[in-house]
Amino acid sequence: MDARVPVLELDDVSVVYDSVSGPVQAVSDVNLKVYQNEVVGLIGESGSGKSTMANAIMRLMKNNARLTKGTIRVNGRDVYSMSKKELRTFRWSEMAMVFQSAMTALNPVMTIEKQIVDTFRSHRPSMSYKEARERAVDLLKLVRIDQKYLSSYPHELSGGMRQRIVIAIAIALEPSLVIMDEPTTALDVVVQRSILNQIQELQKQRGFAILFISHDFSLVAEFAQRVAIMYAGRVVENADAKTLQLGQEHHPYTEGLLRAIPRLTHEEVEIQGIPGHPPDLLNLPKGCAYHPRCPFAAEACKQVRPALHQLAHALVECHLYDEVKGGNMAWPSRQTLSKSTT
Amino acid sequence: MAEQTNFIEVNHLKIRFPIRQKGKQTFITPVDDVSFRIKQGEVLALVGESGSGKSTIGRSLVRILEPSEGTVKVGGQDVTHIKGTALTKYRKVAQMVFQDPFGSLNPVRTLERHLMFPLKKYRGGSHAEISQQVEDLFQRVGLTPVNEFRAKFPHELSGGQRQRVAIARALAVNPAFIVADEPISMLDVSIRAGILELMNELKRDFNLSYLYITHDLASARYFGDRIMVLYGGRVMETAPSAGLLEKPYHPYTRLMFAATPGSDWSIPLPETTNEAPNLLEGRVGCPFAHRCPFVKDRCREETPGLRELAKDHHVACHYAEDLV
Repeated sequence: MDARVPVLELDDVSVVYDSVSGPVQAVSDVNLKVYQNEVVGLIGESGSGKSTMANAIMRLMKNNARLTKGTIRVNGRDVYSMSKKELRTFRWSEMAMVFQSAMTALNPVMTIEKQIVDTFRSHRPSMSYKEARERAVDLLKLVRIDQKYLSSYPHELSGGMRQRIVIAIAIALEPSLVIMDEPTTALDVVVQRSILNQIQELQKQRGFAILFISHDFSLVAEFAQRVAIMYAGRVVENADAKTLQLGQEHHPYTEGLLRAIPRLTHEEVEIQGIPGHPPDLLNLPKGCAYHPRCPFAAEACKQVRPALHQLAHALVECHLYDEVKGGNMAWPSRQTLSKSTT
Repeated sequence: MAEQTNFIEVNHLKIRFPIRQKGKQTFITPVDDVSFRIKQGEVLALVGESGSGKSTIGRSLVRILEPSEGTVKVGGQDVTHIKGTALTKYRKVAQMVFQDPFGSLNPVRTLERHLMFPLKKYRGGSHAEISQQVEDLFQRVGLTPVNEFRAKFPHELSGGQRQRVAIARALAVNPAFIVADEPISMLDVSIRAGILELMNELKRDFNLSYLYITHDLASARYFGDRIMVLYGGRVMETAPSAGLLEKPYHPYTRLMFAATPGSDWSIPLPETTNEAPNLLEGRVGCPFAHRCPFVKDRCREETPGLRELAKDHHVACHYAEDLV
């Protein structure tokens, strides 16, 4: 049915952290596919498992984390059945990652030139230094940074420039999948926008797939074609990004997020937080983990984990959709505020 | 509502930090010639990127920092250079809520002790009275059941709950003015609205004035009655929230509008450099000139002053009218 080629396939992936207070289920039964040329957003609050998932895909998990279930395939190859040596060449040439903090992702005592050249030379041993340097110049051009900065150290550059360089290094070997873990969170909005525009441009030119991880709902909804929403380690919804607005059928958590964010639209809209607080992973609620905060929680939600339901534009894990059209999303309508000047 | 008098008056505020450059002592001025007013029960939202001087202004208003030049008047009292007991007394007027609720609470103290300390120091009373006040504060910020929260330690709380404790602690002295420095930016999206709502209620119930510091225009618009946009330590534009939304004049404000995710502003965004602004003392010209897509020679030579272009809407740009 689906003729597109998946670049990333997660099948029933679960990740557990061993902690002094017992095992912590950080990611549970996640199924997700990212296709060629596609930008998929991954949204979640802190502790929802989104970064754990990114690290699991790259096989960069911390020592106390284990993949307890499922398979992760990139370009059809199981990441966890490779030898260390295979993994070393596979990483970066087929899947690369952009980390949140560019300052820590770059080596502070190496020039930019050395860091880019090293990337090429360790993966393409036959490449001469001169050739690698030429490629480095091209890369900087691609992310619109003057080549005079090749001889600079990371601390001499602004945050935005550093993040551009990290992106340049990530796409240096033309991987088919780039995971971006909150790549612009530390930057201010104007710089963020110009970097996102640039990522989009590069993505179109080079045709790699992006898994874009962020907690910023509006940003992801704008940037990605498809959005996976994580809550307490599970992907509770996988939706077409264009449908992420009120009025469409969604998971109650998604609805809650849509209501919780102040937006810079011409018309002012009342916002409303989600009651309660993010779940404690050591002590997850039974049934649907979202039920203590959900306005629709019924008895079934407290006992039974909901199944996935295919809606018009989304896959949703929620009891509301158990019966055909069983859900009656009777939320108070979003009121338009005409804020008085009191 | 009748015109209220200005509760907070800041005039030509300047803050100077010494730095060493090429072995010579020089100064940077992260805040340069900033003036503004806040009325009682009013929220002024201070918006800018990191390094724009917004937190420095906040800190000098609660007098964690002493301004280098200019004056800060709060409730008619000049607090610019007060010291000792006068400063201690001023703590009862102005309080601060910090960005990081993980760093601003003491990890080895119970929540009750966090609130008892300021209550004892600034309000006094018998043990039973203080205990009652602690209870009221917990109730007020929505940390219930109170008896459960009293004995808890900060690590047992979520980020949102910690921020509620920080707000309760600020309220303990019964202040008239709160500086909230990015109070929601470290919190999860789902609980941000709740904290903004709480701050709104407190504003209404206690007629509190706020300086709300943020980098996010959307929340500034939501919570702020007025918005002041800062760049490179200087005010670029200041207006009532509605007025700013209706017509942002300054190129920097307009860039921010277009760049904010989820905004329906389609102002074309030309490529700009992203080098940091020059903060060295004695700089001339518009601080935004190096990034401005509309820059002209005059912008680099002559520092633009604030001009009133619409009612209460001030803009520091030589060419603001020609650009919109």
